Amino acid sequence: MNMKRHMTRRESIKRLAHLSGGIALTGFLPWPVNKVFSATPGQAKKGFIVEGIGRTKGYSTKALVKGVFDAAGGMQKFVSKGDVVVIKPNISWARAPHLAATTNPEVLEGVIELCQEAGAKKVRIADNTIHDARRCFAITGAGMVAKKTGAELIFPRSSLMRKMKLRGSRLDVWPVFVPIVEADKVINLPIAKHHSLSSLTLGMKNWIGAVGGSRWSLHQDIHQTIVDLARFFKPAITLIDATRILTSNGPSGGSPSDVDTRNTLILSNDPVAADAVASILFGLDPKEIAFISLGHKWRLGTYDFHSLDQKKVVL
Amino acid sequence: VKARHLVRIRRTSQGFFLILFLVLLVETRLPEDIYLNYSSVFSTEQDISLEWPVTFFFQLDPLVFLSSLFSGYSIIKGFAWALGVILMTLFLGRIFCGFICPFGTLNHLVSWVRPAVKGQDMVKANRKTPGQKVKYFILISVLAASVMGLNLTGLMDPISFLFRSIALAVVPGLGTGLRELFNLMAQIDFKPFNLLSYGAEVFLAPVFGYGYQAFQAAWIIGILFLFVLFLNRIRPRFWCRFLCPLGALLGIFSRFTLLRLEKDEEKCTDCKLCVKACQGAASPVPGQTWENAECLMCFNCFDSCPEDALSFSFRWAPKINNGPDMGRRAVLTGLLGGVSLPFLGKLDGRVSKVSDPRLIRPPGSLPEKDFLTLCQRCGLCMKVCPTNVINPTLSEAGMAGFWTPHLIMTQGYCEYTCTLCGSVCPTGAIRPFSVEEKIQRPIIIGSAYVDRGRCLPWSGNGPCIVCEEHCPTSPKAIYLINQVVPGPKGKKVRVQLPYVDLKTCIGCGICENKCPVKGKPAIRVIAVGESRSLENQILLGSL
Repeated sequence: MNMKRHMTRRESIKRLAHLSGGIALTGFLPWPVNKVFSATPGQAKKGFIVEGIGRTKGYSTKALVKGVFDAAGGMQKFVSKGDVVVIKPNISWARAPHLAATTNPEVLEGVIELCQEAGAKKVRIADNTIHDARRCFAITGAGMVAKKTGAELIFPRSSLMRKMKLRGSRLDVWPVFVPIVEADKVINLPIAKHHSLSSLTLGMKNWIGAVGGSRWSLHQDIHQTIVDLARFFKPAITLIDATRILTSNGPSGGSPSDVDTRNTLILSNDPVAADAVASILFGLDPKEIAFISLGHKWRLGTYDFHSLDQKKVVL
Repeated sequence: VKARHLVRIRRTSQGFFLILFLVLLVETRLPEDIYLNYSSVFSTEQDISLEWPVTFFFQLDPLVFLSSLFSGYSIIKGFAWALGVILMTLFLGRIFCGFICPFGTLNHLVSWVRPAVKGQDMVKANRKTPGQKVKYFILISVLAASVMGLNLTGLMDPISFLFRSIALAVVPGLGTGLRELFNLMAQIDFKPFNLLSYGAEVFLAPVFGYGYQAFQAAWIIGILFLFVLFLNRIRPRFWCRFLCPLGALLGIFSRFTLLRLEKDEEKCTDCKLCVKACQGAASPVPGQTWENAECLMCFNCFDSCPEDALSFSFRWAPKINNGPDMGRRAVLTGLLGGVSLPFLGKLDGRVSKVSDPRLIRPPGSLPEKDFLTLCQRCGLCMKVCPTNVINPTLSEAGMAGFWTPHLIMTQGYCEYTCTLCGSVCPTGAIRPFSVEEKIQRPIIIGSAYVDRGRCLPWSGNGPCIVCEEHCPTSPKAIYLINQVVPGPKGKKVRVQLPYVDLKTCIGCGICENKCPVKGKPAIRVIAVGESRSLENQILLGSL
């Protein structure tokens, strides 16, 4: 571990000092805490959706990431100078990148670099993994990305889980992974995958990896709990990694035959629209997917993505 | 060399090896900062292994080497170190006990901090007694049992004893206590406390292996450890003097030691300070014969003699020392005990007839009979396991398999591409295996089955696919069938019912571990179908 990491840790503790008091209080707060900690939702602003596709053989994934962000006005539109940015990839399974169970590390790397170029003070990667975190970091490539870019990979230790008031329709108080709510800006960076209960796991479902507790009981009302969580963690932006998608045996995959290479990235400030566009890649009707239509109903966004400002980037 | 210097060298060496032992013990875990280069692993699975030579002390231990050789006819990796120790003993006596053995050092430390008795009483306490033959009895028992095919060495071997005690009892005990303190501090609504708690946890988590392990029934291991340390209040280095089979083995080899205690009877004033300082009760006083097999080579007598009547020097003359005083009775009862132990241990039929369904061995484990010839019960596999699934057995493996590793899926699960336990086993009871062997299914550790009465969808209590979601194989060994089942109050509920495909299941237990029905999950793994056994099979032609 080098000096840089030491500074990082000290900074993170300092950062925590600012928030820990508030977070410790949150359980008792009568008002909704998400107003206090999350970035304001892009509801008032015009929604947009950018689809990036790599058509040429050997295109650069990082260039595609840059392409979609440029089409949306550049990263500086979402990340300001001096921001602490937390990226929430899906790195829950200790699976190699080619098996498409986890966010493509090249996409992750691209996003981190853009954040750093936009002047972010600190970029953190946070996910409460399912498999052992150390193995997930190593095998998914996220550890290597963190080392290369200098981003901080946060180990999901139990002291970083705090009970918070979610004020959802199904979830009231639930343990939340603190670094995600303490960030100035949150970027949701899921991978598009098949899932046997919710049919797909995309952007909104990615927030199940941002909470602790006995999260497997969420499956008893999966669609409502997904929407509850998505209403709590409002990201500045959602980038769905569909460079490789898992079309069967999800969400863990395990065989290259479950993987379909689509070379696609979907960027949106509307979490419902992003999921809706991604679901079309699987040949599904977004309205038929319960958490997408529920998200629409709860005004988290719209599945009618044609009404948004649509752009396409082809490399 | 002056006596004072010799003692100083000894203390330095003891400190060094004790710290080395503890460092290797702490490092017996997956580090936080392992990075695989994803561009190079694009289409292959990589084994993650430890960088530290965590089995070093087991390689150094001649008893581990000999018992594996006698019992499993297996020459363990790194056995040259053990041969080196034997060679060293031929020249220098039980220098291993005095300078290297971390358990010896710990006992030495406790005896030194609070001596058992004082003054004249200590002189009496340090006289040689017949009780010192017990260690030869233990040595002969475990070696004879090894020859008969049951390796019980690890129960009494000092390296295994110490590793097991610290890794399974001391470290988890301290870790749990500290974590409770941190959690308490994190809950208190006072900023500096929260900060301190987070900082302390970041600082200490690597020491406790990140995950704060817990081991079922480890309290027995902890109490035994405290008991052995307490014995130092009765006699100094009680363990080394009366019980240690490794000490006994080295005592036998020290018969030919060239480094000898020379006594000058003319200078001696019979003050008995040497006896008072002698922790091995090896009769250092002039006028008595020096018991080289009992001497721990601590050089305390040499250091304490005010008259320079004692000195250590090399004698090349072919003079044979005293043999170890083990006595005929210790040899005979030892042999008898050793021969009968394997039979006694297997009386319950756990090995030869029906094994416990919950005896799920780590992947790569040898067939049960061979496993018991090699397993040292040291706890390395249990310490290294990142999910804390490997626990010491109590009765699951029968008496013969007491404290051997087994998997408790409610506590952890066997991670699909993890190969750590096989890579650290010092004797190869769990052989080194590769990720491919787990994925391609030559290695199966058990089979899952659904307990329909408990299962949420099967009992009509609601949707749940958690077992299927976590199943790591492709295609998944747990599959779902859409069905309408009767629910509470006569309602019909649409659910997805989980089924297990035994031809795909590997018994990893993540389904059992993640099942929302805690305590006794609705899907459980039993050992049947384990690839290491020819008999314990369900399906025809699965092996």
